[in-house]
Amino acid sequence: MEELVISEKAKKQAESCRFCWMCRHLCPIGNATGQERNTARARALGVSMVVRGTYDLSTIADNVYECGVCGACTNNCVTGWDPKIFIQEVKAELALKGLLPEYIKTILETYASTGNAYGAKAPEGYKDTKGDVLFVLGQDAFYRSEASYKGAVALMDKIGASYALNEKANDTGATLNFLVGKTKETEDAAAACAKIMNEYKEVVVYDPVDMRFIAHEWKEWGIEVTAKVVSFNDYVKANMGKLKVAKGKNVYTPQDNYAYARDLDDTETVREILGQVGEVKDMLLNRKEANMAGSLLMDLYMHDVQMQVARDRWFNAAAMDCKVIVTENPAEYELLKATEPEGSRVMTLEEAILENAK
Amino acid sequence: MNEFLFTQVLSELEDAVGVENCSTKQIDKLTHSVDYFWLSRMWSDRGREMPQADFIVSPKDAKEVSKVLKIANYYKIPVTTWGGGGGTQGGAIPVCGGIVIDTKRMNQIYEINTDGMYIECGAGAIYKHIEWAANEKGYATMHYPSSLTCSTVGGFLAHRGIGVVSTKYGKIDDMVLQMEVVLPNGDIINTSSAPKHAAGPDLNEIFIGSEGTLGIITKAQIRIYAQPEVRRFRGFLFKDMHGAFQAARELLQIFKPSVMRLYDEAETASLIKKIVGVSRPGAFMNVAYEGKKELVDVEEKILLETFKKYGAEDLGSDYGEKWWKEKITFFYPGHMMDLPQMFGTMDTIAPYDKIEKIYWAMKKAIETEFPNIKFIAHFSHWYEWGAMVYDRFICDNPPQDPIEAMKLHNRVWNVGVRAAIANGGVVNDHHGVGIKLGRLMKEQYGPAMQVFEALKKTLDPNGIMNPFKLGL
Repeated sequence: MEELVISEKAKKQAESCRFCWMCRHLCPIGNATGQERNTARARALGVSMVVRGTYDLSTIADNVYECGVCGACTNNCVTGWDPKIFIQEVKAELALKGLLPEYIKTILETYASTGNAYGAKAPEGYKDTKGDVLFVLGQDAFYRSEASYKGAVALMDKIGASYALNEKANDTGATLNFLVGKTKETEDAAAACAKIMNEYKEVVVYDPVDMRFIAHEWKEWGIEVTAKVVSFNDYVKANMGKLKVAKGKNVYTPQDNYAYARDLDDTETVREILGQVGEVKDMLLNRKEANMAGSLLMDLYMHDVQMQVARDRWFNAAAMDCKVIVTENPAEYELLKATEPEGSRVMTLEEAILENAK
Repeated sequence: MNEFLFTQVLSELEDAVGVENCSTKQIDKLTHSVDYFWLSRMWSDRGREMPQADFIVSPKDAKEVSKVLKIANYYKIPVTTWGGGGGTQGGAIPVCGGIVIDTKRMNQIYEINTDGMYIECGAGAIYKHIEWAANEKGYATMHYPSSLTCSTVGGFLAHRGIGVVSTKYGKIDDMVLQMEVVLPNGDIINTSSAPKHAAGPDLNEIFIGSEGTLGIITKAQIRIYAQPEVRRFRGFLFKDMHGAFQAARELLQIFKPSVMRLYDEAETASLIKKIVGVSRPGAFMNVAYEGKKELVDVEEKILLETFKKYGAEDLGSDYGEKWWKEKITFFYPGHMMDLPQMFGTMDTIAPYDKIEKIYWAMKKAIETEFPNIKFIAHFSHWYEWGAMVYDRFICDNPPQDPIEAMKLHNRVWNVGVRAAIANGGVVNDHHGVGIKLGRLMKEQYGPAMQVFEALKKTLDPNGIMNPFKLGL
C-alpha cells in the first residue's frame, strides 16, 4: 500500500475539513456533477483515510484532479482552512510515486514533446517581438484562445504600448503546477520564465491564473523576479486615457475570475474599466463569491463537466437577466463561448473596451 | 453477493441511470459512508471503515429512481437515500450495504412561482441554491438552519428540519405545499395539490420525517416569502431561565418574533461568550422581529415592556446583530465541538408546563450519570404552547478504542433521551432518528408504533428502504 507523505500544514487542513460540509454549495464542480465526492469534505476525508493507512494513495488520484483549485471553498471558510493545500500536495505525491492517472500522464507527455499541454502551435504568423514591456499572455490564451490572444494584442496596440512577445515566457509554470503541484519540473519552468522576465523592467501578465501563480507560489518558492510585474487589468486601467473610449449604452456583467477576485484580491478594477465604456450589472454570485472553476486543462479530461460548469454560470446570469458576460480569463471565455445561449453573449474585457474605443 | 450476481445488478443499475451515474468506486463508497453523525466520524477518525454501499447511483428524476427501486425490490437489495449527508443521526449511512441513491442530480429548479409563492424544485437541490433563486426574484425561503449550505430540500423534509427564523415562519413541514414521492415499489405519486385540506389525512405528513423508510421524495414545492422591510435584533440577559420562559410565553400570546434563542447559564458562559461576547452571568436571550416597519415598531414596544416585567436587562441590538452575522460561524471547524471530543445534540420539544422540567431532568441525569460530561443547552424554536430545548453533551476525553467510545456514546444518549421521554418530551425535535435513536422510538410510542410498522409493512413489504432507521 502506497503511503501519502504530505506536510503537517496540509494534513491539518485535511483533518479540519474532513467532516465539514459548510462550503459544499459553492463548489462549481460539485454543483455541476452532483457527486458527493466533489466536495472539499469528501476530498479531505479521502486524504485523511489515506494518511491513516486505510486506503492506498491511488484511491484518491482521480478525486484530486476533479478539483478546479478555484478556492471557492477556501474563500467561504470563516476559519481559514484551505483545501487547495492538500490537493496540490497530493498531486505532487502522485507524480513522485508514479501514480498519476493515465489522462494526466498523456497531458504531461504532450507538454514534454510540444512545450504546452494542448500540443498546439503558436498562432498563425506569430513571431517573438522586442519592446520595452514584456507581455506574457500565458499558455491558455496563446495556444487555446484565439479571441483572447488577438484581443489582448489589439488592445496593447491601441494603447500604443512598446511591448515584447516571447513564446517561452508564456509558460510561467502554472500549467505544471496545476498538473503535478510543486515538483522540480514546475520550479524549473517557473525559474526559466523568471529569467526571461528579468530581462525587462516591466512585465504585463494577461492571465490572472499566471499572475496569481507568480504573486503567490513564485514568492513562496523563492523564485526571484526583478521586473515589475503588473496584471493586465491594472495595466489597462492605467492606460485607459490613451484609448479614447466613449461610454456606450451596453450593459456588461463581469465574470469575476477566481484568481483575480480571491487570490489577488482585485474585484473592482474590471468594474472601473467597464464603467468607463458602459453600464455594469452584476449577477448574484459575484466578486469573491464568483462561482466558476473554468479550466482548459480540465476540459481535456472532464469536458462534459466543464461545459456544465459554464452552463451553470449562464444560469446565474440569466436569473438576473444579465445578457452580456465579460471575462478576464481565456479559459472562462472559451468555456462560456462554447455554451453561449441564444440571445446572450460572452466577450473578453478587451473586446468590451475596443467596441467602445474611437 | 457473488461476483456474477453483482455484475448482473450493476449492469441493470447502469441501464437505469446511465453508466456515468452508477459507481462502485472506492472513493464514492467512502464518501457515502460517513455523514455528520458523531459515530461515523469517530469510526473513520480511528481509521476504520464504516459500512459501505455496493453501488452508488445518481438518478436524474423520479422515473430513474423508480427504475432503481424496482431493481432493488426484485433482488431484495437495501436502498439508502443520501441527500447532502449533513444529518447527525446516521440516517444516510448504508448500514446494510446495497444501493445508495444520491439525490443531488435531482437539483433542478423547475419554477419560481411568485403568484403561488413557491419554488418547485428537485429534492436534491441544495437549500442554499433555492434561497439564491428566491433572492434573485426579491424573495426568501426563510429556512435558515446551520446546515443551509450543506443539505438538500429532500434531506430537510425527510428529517423534518427547522431553521433559525422558525418561530415566525415555521418548520419545514410548514414550508412545503406538494411533494412528488417514489414509493418503494417504484410507483410515482404526488401528494395533494395543497396542504391544510380535509381530503383525508395529509399525505405530506406520512413522508415528512420518514427518513427514506417509506419512499423517496424526488420533487417539492417550497414556499417563498416576501423579504421583510426591516429585521431588528435585541439581546437580553435574564437572571435565570425561569423568568425568560415566563416572558417568552407571554410574548408569544401577542406576536411571533422570527428568532428567539434562550441560552442556559452554561452555554451563555461558554459559546455565547466566545462568539457573541456576552461575558456576564445569566441566561442570554436573542430576539429578532421583522416585517413592515410600522408593525415592527409596535412589536418592539411590546417586547421591551413584556421582558422588562420579568427583570430582563436590555442589552441593545449589537449582540443580536453580531449573533445573526455569526450564526453559522459556530459550525465551522475550530469554533465548536469537534473530535477528539464526543458530543451530541439531544433536542426535544414539549409544552411550557413540561419543558423546563425536561431541561433540568436531562441535565441532572447526564451530569449525575456521567460526571465528566458537560451539559449545555439553548431553546431556539418557540410556539404559543411550548418550546424546543437543544441540549448538548460534551465529553472531552472519550475512549480511544472505537468500540468503547461507541458504547459510552449510546449510554449517554439512552440516559438523556429517556429522561426527556419520562418527563413528557419526545425522542427528537428536528434532527430525526436515524440509526442513532431508532431503539428509543418504541419507548416513546409504545403500541402507537404499530401504526408506523403497518405503514412500513404495506409500503415496503421487502423491507429494503433504509433498514434499521427510525426504529423500523
